[in-house]
Amino acid sequence: MNLLRQYIQAILNARKLLIVTFLLCFGLFIYAPFTIMLLRSVGKDWFGKAWLPPTLTLGWYDWAWTVGQVPEITKNTLIIAAMAVVMSTLIAIPTGWAFGRRGVPGKEVLLSLILLPRMIPPIAYALGVARIFYRLHLIDTHIGVALAHTAICAPYAILVLSSTFEGLDERVLEAASVCGANAVRTFFHVILPMVLPGILSSVIFTFTNSYNELTLTLMTYGVHTKTLPVRTYLAIGEGYLEVANAMAVILIIPSLFVLFMIQRQVAPEKLVGGFKGV
Amino acid sequence: MADFLRRQRQSVLTLLMLSPGFAGFLGLFFYPMLVTVVRSLRPEGQDMGWTLANYVEFLGKPGTRQVILLTFGLAISSTLLSVVLSVPLTLVLREKLWGHRFFRLTILIPITVPGLVGALGLLVFYGSRGWPNLFITQILRLPKLNVTYTVPGLILFYLWHYFPYTALTTLATLEGLDRSIEEAASVSGANGRQVLRHIVLPLIAPGILAGSVLTFMAAFGSFSIPLVTGGNYRPLSVAIYTQIRSFSPARWSMGSAMSVVMAILQVTFLSIYMRVLRRPIA
Repeated sequence: MNLLRQYIQAILNARKLLIVTFLLCFGLFIYAPFTIMLLRSVGKDWFGKAWLPPTLTLGWYDWAWTVGQVPEITKNTLIIAAMAVVMSTLIAIPTGWAFGRRGVPGKEVLLSLILLPRMIPPIAYALGVARIFYRLHLIDTHIGVALAHTAICAPYAILVLSSTFEGLDERVLEAASVCGANAVRTFFHVILPMVLPGILSSVIFTFTNSYNELTLTLMTYGVHTKTLPVRTYLAIGEGYLEVANAMAVILIIPSLFVLFMIQRQVAPEKLVGGFKGV
Repeated sequence: MADFLRRQRQSVLTLLMLSPGFAGFLGLFFYPMLVTVVRSLRPEGQDMGWTLANYVEFLGKPGTRQVILLTFGLAISSTLLSVVLSVPLTLVLREKLWGHRFFRLTILIPITVPGLVGALGLLVFYGSRGWPNLFITQILRLPKLNVTYTVPGLILFYLWHYFPYTALTTLATLEGLDRSIEEAASVSGANGRQVLRHIVLPLIAPGILAGSVLTFMAAFGSFSIPLVTGGNYRPLSVAIYTQIRSFSPARWSMGSAMSVVMAILQVTFLSIYMRVLRRPIA
């Protein structure tokens, strides 16, 4: 009997061990690239068969900062992302309200039409975007790149906001009007606090999409509108892997901040469909 | 009459509210797509005339079949692997063991960081001077393993990048599952494996499928990963980009024809997938 118990215990332990090993492997699979990127970006004279860099340096960051013009490029990236967020949100608030609360006939069909830009790979219409923008002289302008980003950001913002508005409880609105609140008061004191989390998550996702976007940016950028992903891509192409690694590390920092926000503000399940891997 | 007018005004208002969304759709997606289609029907380098020569040339080229097969192969195999990874992972995370929050956050990492960063990190890590290869050559004393710039390597990188869609949807479905069903099954005498095989898996299958559609969609259109880590293996997206960047003058018509083929393939495959699924994707 005792032996049997020990046997069962051993199996249970083995199962635990298996789970722990599995999770560790998974963590290693996800995080290892970042670790080595971080090491690469601070390592000097790291050649051949060394496991770790022999000397540490911040020289690559300095290089990225001055030669790679990271401050200016970060400014570009943030301006473009901000423009894309504002445009997508301005598009999505009325459209999302109509979809969520005004009983649009044929809603399903119309909504899937709106979501089409997320289903078709961006590269498939990027050439058309580039040609139109050339004609309108929108290439190499902040607003042009931001408009291109809006093409993929707006559909998702509409999706998120329409479900947010749909979830507004009619009874609460009625209660507000019964208690004597006028339209303005209802909007600021009842509707706004209720939809703010939804708007916030839509903003987070549009920002991340615009910040990470490479395909449409590559087709519409110019000398004055290089974004961080484009600059990193160019650095890889030029063969400066160490500098590219330093830039990539800089590039991650806002993403980690976004991740922190997501974890605080929204359930991860809601994220599905929120990002389009490009 | 007044009622009719009021209704009329309401529908006009609804239409007005919908208009920004549809203006964006028409201006930023439909019109570019139309321009792409028209461009693909023009002779190369000319703004007049209609021709199918670009399609004939692209579809007739010996390399085309390989490009399309590569694109589908990468997307399908990484989607299958993402299911293989996601199911055990979510089953473990469901138990809410110590540190499960950390691993939940870990799932989000590949889709939050820019695709390019992930691609670069994977390239450096699995490259000839990365740790896996150092381990193989230094400790195991085996010949170097080429991962980067190979098809299996690309599949691995795609998996790293696109499995979160499958994992998150599966996790959400799994957590929405009523535990009492499983308890009922085990009370009725089913062992752990039987419960998993006959109860849990069939119930979460729709979630897995819905998630895998998203993974497939992302993997099919993947651009930055094959651009940086693909080397000579160029799926459709990179092949289109090459037409614009590597040829001088840029081959816009050819690139457009390839774009149209890519869009058609994607839509066809997705509609088949959804017909099989019989449920809309989010």
